[in-house]
Amino acid sequence: MENNLFLTEMILSELSEIVGQDFVSDKESDKFIYSTDWAWMPQMWLDRGMPLRPPDFIVHPGSAEEISEILEIANKYRIPVVPWGGGSGTQGAALPIFGGILIDTKRMNKIVAIDEKSLTVTAQAGIIIAQLEWALNEKGFMLPHYAASSNCATLGGALAPRGTGTISTKYGKAEDMVLSMQIVLPTGEIIRTPPVPKHAAGPDWFRLFLGAEGNFGIITEATMQLDYLPEARLMRAVLFDDLDIALEVGRLIMTHRLNPLVIRLYDRESTVSQVKKVLGYEYDGAYMVMGFDGDPEIAALQEKKALKYCMDLGGRDLGRDPGEAWWEHRYDFYYPPKSLKLPWMYGTTETVTTYDKIANLYWAEKKAVEDGFADWNVKFIAHFSHWFHWGVMVYSRFIIEEPPQDAQEALRLHNRVWNAAMQAVMANGGMINEHHGVGLKLSRYMRKQYGEAWPLLLKIKKTIDPNGIMNPGKTGFGF
Amino acid sequence: MQLQTATATIENCRYCLMCRHVCPVGHVTRRETLTPHGWGLTIASVQRGLLTWNQDTVDVLYSCADCGTCRAHCVTDQPLPDAIVTNRAEVTAQHLAPAAAYEVHKALQEWSNPYEKQVPETVTGQAEIALFVGDDARYLRPTTLESALKLLEAASIKPILIGIGRSSGYLASSLGFPETAKMLVQTTLDELKASGARRMLVLTPGDYYAFDRLLADRLEVEWPRGVELEEVLSLLDKKYTAGVLKFKSSDDKRPFAYIDPTHSLRIPARYETPRRLLAGVMPAAGRELFWRKERMHPCGNGALQFMNPHISNHLTYARLADAQQTGAQVAITEDPGCLSHLNRHADRFRLQIQDLYELLADYLI
Repeated sequence: MENNLFLTEMILSELSEIVGQDFVSDKESDKFIYSTDWAWMPQMWLDRGMPLRPPDFIVHPGSAEEISEILEIANKYRIPVVPWGGGSGTQGAALPIFGGILIDTKRMNKIVAIDEKSLTVTAQAGIIIAQLEWALNEKGFMLPHYAASSNCATLGGALAPRGTGTISTKYGKAEDMVLSMQIVLPTGEIIRTPPVPKHAAGPDWFRLFLGAEGNFGIITEATMQLDYLPEARLMRAVLFDDLDIALEVGRLIMTHRLNPLVIRLYDRESTVSQVKKVLGYEYDGAYMVMGFDGDPEIAALQEKKALKYCMDLGGRDLGRDPGEAWWEHRYDFYYPPKSLKLPWMYGTTETVTTYDKIANLYWAEKKAVEDGFADWNVKFIAHFSHWFHWGVMVYSRFIIEEPPQDAQEALRLHNRVWNAAMQAVMANGGMINEHHGVGLKLSRYMRKQYGEAWPLLLKIKKTIDPNGIMNPGKTGFGF
Repeated sequence: MQLQTATATIENCRYCLMCRHVCPVGHVTRRETLTPHGWGLTIASVQRGLLTWNQDTVDVLYSCADCGTCRAHCVTDQPLPDAIVTNRAEVTAQHLAPAAAYEVHKALQEWSNPYEKQVPETVTGQAEIALFVGDDARYLRPTTLESALKLLEAASIKPILIGIGRSSGYLASSLGFPETAKMLVQTTLDELKASGARRMLVLTPGDYYAFDRLLADRLEVEWPRGVELEEVLSLLDKKYTAGVLKFKSSDDKRPFAYIDPTHSLRIPARYETPRRLLAGVMPAAGRELFWRKERMHPCGNGALQFMNPHISNHLTYARLADAQQTGAQVAITEDPGCLSHLNRHADRFRLQIQDLYELLADYLI
């Protein structure tokens, strides 16, 4: 686009006619800021003084109809379109790597309706989750998607990569809370998925849009399941000498359906580094936080039974304070300078698998990273934080405090560490990701992840987005 | 703030999105660039040679409202507004700031305020308590001052007025002219010293912030030892609670909402003070804005009104729209700058703006 100023100006005028001049920008300042999201790779690139490919236009539409018209222009001129919610993704899914039109959805931030009988909220997808939560709390409800990114991510941004939150163990991932969505397809049609997610009226096609990361269209509105604000919330911490035993305790709690809102189990390395740095506790072992909420009597009973599993397998009850402190400060881990930050190199290679495989997966990934990159003094830390009836997610991270200063060298090393981690994950029955999504970072693993099924996804992409304009280069789909 | 400290803050904030949800400028513009992360990354990228200070990027730098909301919500207390202002000072020193900044600065240097070509009145005399008047109460809304004085008199307090018509120094600091800010502050402190007062009252949270944190955090000016700084409203609240001040109940039955004035969240535990006083006068409980108390937003006054009236107006509209959505017909606040801005656009939102000081004074027994 930068080589064709005339065409750029023509397209700018067309976009302005749709959304108004105030809501389209080709300013250098805006293009620069929107050239990066929250992924380590582009941030490092800029940090080392290297510019990124910016979008050609940033558009702030006010409605699904406006988005539909923008997509018509994009199809007409074959221009890439990148949907943008909060830009808080870690996988580079919002990077405008081929330029084009970046659609920032945050103007579409209205709460459309709250159904106090069915306990649902319908909201435009550009609303920031924390703001939605405040509004719901004022009526005694909550959207139990308590993600670390709630302050910055949008509702659409929670659904598009199949995001999750701190209390997913009880309340589910964002995808489990959604009843229906309004979506603008890449070809401009505005569709609505069925009003309820559980039915037998044919295949569950609406789930195609969850995890598609904008490839199959832009989510513009969603109806989400709510919950009442809990009457009680009981937090507690337990320390284990052995991580594998702690994992077994977590499995027992889950498979016996004690319904914890959270189990957060830190490995020893996380306990002695992250937990100490943020919460100030000096424990040596595997620090487990667990919580139960809702009716006070039921929550107390659930906690009592869960604690018995802990004690029976040698856990040390640390009491309420370290549990409550964790709850109070659970997002502090993400505020600089407490968070991981540049110039360090880091990556979150989080994954999920079944209980029979999780311990092997963890140890295999840890070995692959630590042995493979010992020369770089790599650190491998992990916590297990989203538990299911059948398995658990491990939030594993690698950290290199003194990476190469050269941007290209650093990026290559980063990719090599990821390769080692992902190979270990896939070899041990894990998925390449549990909730951050695929984006640009994991795009190259999609074919291997899905094997024979991958061409089916390619065909679906080709059918829904015939001109390949939507978020090219992401989620494995290329351009 | 030293440039080195500012740079450390910028390095922390450039990729942090944790306060984006509370940034009022981000809300009204929807531009990622005009959020704390956007300002941080812009400054950091100029320092890395990826951007230069030009009309576009300098406009970005001057679009922050300097309201303190980001810092108030920061778990690690990053002084981003101070860091932005420090970088504005670098830009002004290089003569790269927008023309409006130099125009306001010239007025501040010459007249000590941005509104009138008039030098502040000279203060003489001594008293135990001084009241800093400032420029907004002098030129934008003198009735606020009259009402505050009437209320203080009812509490047997007769302060000497200082800083009549003089900017507190906040505006000059916010625009990136720390030396002028220091000059303005120092002149007021000299008047305070000459008055012999042991307590200085201020009319607004903005002025409280200016003589409290701003002095130490930005200007390296020491507040005079042994002198207490207090908001008039806080003092009135104490007198009301102690039974010294008494109010009759208003017969105005219209639903009302209180708007926390700009900079309120820079003053810890301030939120209940005006609400308690209001409860003493109004016949029913007030409606609460969505953006209230700890998540309050500025009213559009401050440096932004000169540097970017478009955003400043939208901040004002947002406050009025928030009040309107509560069903209120009357919006009440006490900062003369806020009152002036809100009044300008209130009709559009079918709201009547009421000065809290005037309201309290009207119902004094």
